[in-house]
Amino acid sequence: MTTSRPLVLAVPSKGRMQENAAGFFARAGLTLQQGRGARDYRGTLAGFDDVEVAYLPVADIVSQLAEGAVHLGVAGEDLLREQVADAGARVALLSKLGFGNANVVVAVPQAWIDVRGTADLEDVAAVFHARRGRRMRVATKYINLTRAFLSSRGVTDYRIVESLGATEGAPASGTAEFIVDITTTGATLTANGLKVLDDGVMLRSEANLMASLTAPWSDATLAAARMILARIAAEEAARLSREVRAQFEAGAPDLGPEAAARFAAERFPSGSPDLQIFHCAAGQVGPLSDWLVERGAGKVIVAPMDYIFAAANPLFDSLVGRLPSGGRSEPVP
Amino acid sequence: MPHESETTGIGRRNMSALMSVLQQARYASVTPDILQEAAPFLDLGGEEIRASLFFTTDQTGRELCLRPEFTIPVCRAYLTSADAGTPTRYSCAGPVFRMRAGEPAETLQVGLESFGRTDTAAADAEVLGLASEAVRAAAGGSLTTIFGDAGLLASLLDALRLPALWQRRLKRGLDKGESAATVLAAAPTTAADHSGVLAAMAGTDAAGARALVDDLLSIAGIASVGGRSASEIAERFLSQVALRAAPPFGPEQRSILDRYLAIAGEPDAAALALRALAEEAGLDLSAALDLFEARISLMAIEGVDLATTRFSGAFGRNLDYYTGFVFEARLAGLPGGPVLVGGRYDRLAQALGSTVPVPAVGAAIWVDTLHPGQGTPR
Repeated sequence: MTTSRPLVLAVPSKGRMQENAAGFFARAGLTLQQGRGARDYRGTLAGFDDVEVAYLPVADIVSQLAEGAVHLGVAGEDLLREQVADAGARVALLSKLGFGNANVVVAVPQAWIDVRGTADLEDVAAVFHARRGRRMRVATKYINLTRAFLSSRGVTDYRIVESLGATEGAPASGTAEFIVDITTTGATLTANGLKVLDDGVMLRSEANLMASLTAPWSDATLAAARMILARIAAEEAARLSREVRAQFEAGAPDLGPEAAARFAAERFPSGSPDLQIFHCAAGQVGPLSDWLVERGAGKVIVAPMDYIFAAANPLFDSLVGRLPSGGRSEPVP
Repeated sequence: MPHESETTGIGRRNMSALMSVLQQARYASVTPDILQEAAPFLDLGGEEIRASLFFTTDQTGRELCLRPEFTIPVCRAYLTSADAGTPTRYSCAGPVFRMRAGEPAETLQVGLESFGRTDTAAADAEVLGLASEAVRAAAGGSLTTIFGDAGLLASLLDALRLPALWQRRLKRGLDKGESAATVLAAAPTTAADHSGVLAAMAGTDAAGARALVDDLLSIAGIASVGGRSASEIAERFLSQVALRAAPPFGPEQRSILDRYLAIAGEPDAAALALRALAEEAGLDLSAALDLFEARISLMAIEGVDLATTRFSGAFGRNLDYYTGFVFEARLAGLPGGPVLVGGRYDRLAQALGSTVPVPAVGAAIWVDTLHPGQGTPR
């Protein structure tokens, strides 16, 4: 029955992604409870009876989101774009999580001093093909991303050599002429005598909270998703903003409208004109505080916040807006 | 065995009707394996066709695929046969397999290929004429045909001295349906960023350029790694020097190209327009134009209805290996794709390992498009 099926939340089962994802949920006040031992791949979410947590390899999270076997999951955008043909129709990206940042790039040997961009690569690959009677080889695990990107740049004289590890070593070992790989700092590429093409960044990827658009979304699973996403949104809103309290002498003017206009700061009623409370983006704290002192504040106190719950639930709204029947899809028996 | 569907039954009957016409014309029937080595298709078609192939691997890890078409397997079979090197005609029929959104993966195709004939115009005309006759025999109705000439376009671009890089991009762009304006507006390469190096290389020979590249790599502390040699890099710099020094592909050349691409219409009228263009522009295209005109005369003799046949200067087929005559035809009144496609591919045999060039021309008939959507009971 639809109502008895729990919402399945998929989280990475190992490595840095697991640690970062656990940290992310913990900050949102969502405690993942792994089953009996570290080797148990099913768990629960404290306080949510109808939520099941599935610990999966990231590649499986992406494919199960696409198939609708799990409802929500954490994975890198690179894998989604690579593995799922019509990603936009099957999976919704709800929120960027700020970890797992990496770029998928085209890199060629540094010795190719005449090659700076993909227009050069097109030329060099065509001449290579015509002269040697075989195509240049590109080593990569991103077969679909590579094909789509090179096609969009008119590069056609190449063959893909699938590489599932140590891709950056392929040109030196002679198994490929250039590569498409993921990089964070570029240090590994440089150490292997490679350089990224000027216009060779195919995708700037990071971990995302994703929702399946093909999963059986019942009223119960939607209700669970609404609560989970409300907490995540509350944590995100709090993480990105600061509370600024300014104390004034009696009779100070109301600075609310001007603070809103200049710093996009939101004024909260404090019950007294001597204490004015604002919420602003973390980056606006300095300018806003300076300005408040200038306008007569005796003291400005800035504090981080844990959560900002709001009536609006933008993450949930964006999920419901993407579901085919406005959030009432029934599972196929 | 599942019961054969009515549609498949119609397909099978169409296939036999097509094949009997080809066999009467002495196109010997061959049957390439359904399971093929994948590498030749990817080598020739490029990675862009990977998404449309059905792959599997054998126990040694060799990549195999279901045949997506007949030309490459038949050409490989010809090259290893006792007929290799002599004029030979083949026909084949059966399912081919391609992944295409919203369309069946398995479709019936009939192919005809003619290898080794040096009477180019006659071979071109025969293949189009025979394929058209076969379609008419199987489906009735009349065909509308459009054709282009990749060889004539290449001669024109040579005569206009369009650099090789732009010839390649233009041909590929036009084959994909892009306009010449779009292709020619793109950035050439980043040569502009290397103007110092190119200036230093102007006037040097291959050895001098090679020495300069060696020095540059050594100064930068780059141990050469991967794929291309220092000589190849030096040669590319030299070709960029030449590209910069070459007379520009100016508005005059561009307008001749645009006029060529805009020529479209009945074959005889197109031939006249092409002659006139060559004469006005002062370009010697006589060999390509002689072939063009001879082919039209022979097409009429081979039964191609010139009244429903059109030439288009901008017509190309999205496959790199066509080198000359290219064509496609539709059945009048039927929506959807062409029923008949093909062209000349004189460089394919060498790309498949032949040590000598083998002139070749062929066509493929999409059997399932002859009676689309029909499943009438027998």
